[in-house]
Amino acid sequence: MTVARIRNKAPVERARQPAGAWPIGALRYLVAAVFTGFCLFPFYVIVTTALKTETNIFAWPPVWVFKPTLQSFYNALFVFGGRGAISYLINSIVISAVSTFLAVVLGAMAAYGLARFSFAGNRQLAFWILSTRFAPPVAFVVPIYIMVQRAGLLDSHIALILIYTAMNLSLVVWILRGFFAEIPIEIEEAALVDGYSQLQIFWRVALPLVRPGIVSMAILSAIFSWNEFLYAMVLTQSRAATLPVYLAGFSNSMGLAWGEYMAVGTMAVLPILVFTFALQKHLVRGLTFGAVK
Amino acid sequence: MPRIEFSGVTKSYADGTQAVADLNLVVEDGEFLCLLGPSGCGKSSTIRVLAGLEAVSEGMVLADGHRIDHLPPQARDCAMIFENYALYPHLTAFENIAMPLRARRLPAQDVERRVMEIARMLRIEPLMARRPSRLSGGEKQRVGVARALVREPAMFLMDEPLGHLEAYLRVELRAEIRRLQERLVITTIYVTHDQGEAAAVADRIAVMSAGRLQQVGSFLDLLDRPLNRFVAEFIGEPPMVFLPVHRVTADSLAVKDVQIRLPEPLAAALRATDDCNLTLGVRPNDISIVTPAPERLNGEVVLVQPQGGHAIVGVETSAGPATVVVPSDVRPAAGTIVGLVFESEALHLFDSAARSLLHSRGEGGGG
Repeated sequence: MTVARIRNKAPVERARQPAGAWPIGALRYLVAAVFTGFCLFPFYVIVTTALKTETNIFAWPPVWVFKPTLQSFYNALFVFGGRGAISYLINSIVISAVSTFLAVVLGAMAAYGLARFSFAGNRQLAFWILSTRFAPPVAFVVPIYIMVQRAGLLDSHIALILIYTAMNLSLVVWILRGFFAEIPIEIEEAALVDGYSQLQIFWRVALPLVRPGIVSMAILSAIFSWNEFLYAMVLTQSRAATLPVYLAGFSNSMGLAWGEYMAVGTMAVLPILVFTFALQKHLVRGLTFGAVK
Repeated sequence: MPRIEFSGVTKSYADGTQAVADLNLVVEDGEFLCLLGPSGCGKSSTIRVLAGLEAVSEGMVLADGHRIDHLPPQARDCAMIFENYALYPHLTAFENIAMPLRARRLPAQDVERRVMEIARMLRIEPLMARRPSRLSGGEKQRVGVARALVREPAMFLMDEPLGHLEAYLRVELRAEIRRLQERLVITTIYVTHDQGEAAAVADRIAVMSAGRLQQVGSFLDLLDRPLNRFVAEFIGEPPMVFLPVHRVTADSLAVKDVQIRLPEPLAAALRATDDCNLTLGVRPNDISIVTPAPERLNGEVVLVQPQGGHAIVGVETSAGPATVVVPSDVRPAAGTIVGLVFESEALHLFDSAARSLLHSRGEGGGG
């Protein structure tokens, strides 16, 4: 129908194009759909298993249609292991949020300084900051454990917050430095003659212009802090332990309580997913286009 | 509105290049001055030094006799317009224009009133809600002009403001800038490499080359009384024709074998020097094409470029190439041999140091 109508209106060679492209376009969608399904299937299994009763989880053939229950979520959050996952979930949220906030705020200021002011050792400093990421984190576990222990910060939120901030900071500085350097210098010079101080220019002109960079670094930092396992495992016991630590202990001590296990898994994925979707609209590129020729 | 004075200003960059060398220049209160010169001549560095975007290396910048070269840009009360507009991309046109007012913490209703006032003046009211990415080049620069003017600055600095615009917009906007400047009486420094633009807007023009000020004056001053060969060549379209000459007697000259009759002031100037390496300068408008004759400078027409009411003719003479502007009814054909006659009252002579014999006496070639 549509094809015929287009043919009547458009020149012949134009009209042939959609008709000829049709099978290719459909094939493209098919491949994309299969791949998307392939990627999402594990997630689907996690979520549905978490919503099934124990009988349904082990049913064979698998049950595709069932009445969802939140029993596993309730058990996982409040019952299992004496007090459930809720305190670990809160620890994860607090530690990720604070370390991400610190990394982005401090990182943006450092990156701006490195991008905009020339001083002796500027480039060496930038490289040194990145170089802190060169060695695998496991190489520093023992020294850091000793430092944290001496400081009396074992099993504390502040220890993980500081470590995650430090780890994220290097990447944030390095990436945002590039974003700041891309802002045409005339825009900031215009602000200078318009009567703004350097600090005001940072907040009112430079920062809004690198918003996509800030947002992507916030997402990456949050994901890193949320998922980090090694240091959380070594440095915390219970008071400041995060969700990955709880998950790791879960399969050992509780046997295979699949429903609850998958419920915790779902909860481990959801906050980051929500955070990323919430910030996604700020990821528009090309905001600086059109300001300067 | 201050009187601006550059006193011995030198600007060197970290890599050793000297952009401005020993600049002495006064811009009078309310004057519209153009800095004119080829790219890299130091004209942009000069206004960046004045705006405080670059520090002076030596010398002083004064406003009404007070030094301002140590002040940060925000304390100098200069408004600036940039060649590439430099609007804030994340703000609407309204907010762009309001930025200088917000820096001064004006009450909201005053900001609103003054932004709309200046927008009306520049006829950009309908664009106020748009972001810069949705404005055309001409509209962007109008917003740039509005942003500069909205706070009634002490000085108005423009760095090639029309450089990126199309020709017809340049003519329209430069007239508008001049009108606004006359109405607001703001001391203005305008940087351009386009002499037509400079002639159209400026009270006085300062010609710069290789970091040095060559001459300051009205466009007609520069055209009729160039101090040196650089100004003579740079000002005027098409450029002045230069021909090597040699001395015949104490006060007469010849181009090749052709005797040139000099009017009295020029003959007197020639008598006063013993320099032998002289160059004759004559404007293409002051040359006429006549029939060739042995006692004239003859040459072959190599190129004819018809313009509106006239034509530009390239002639290859035995003394070198010459350009002649002729009325369109005497347009010769390429390949013909013609004779050239110079308007003797309009001749210029330059010595071996490229100074004008007639106009640079006692002026030292600069300032």
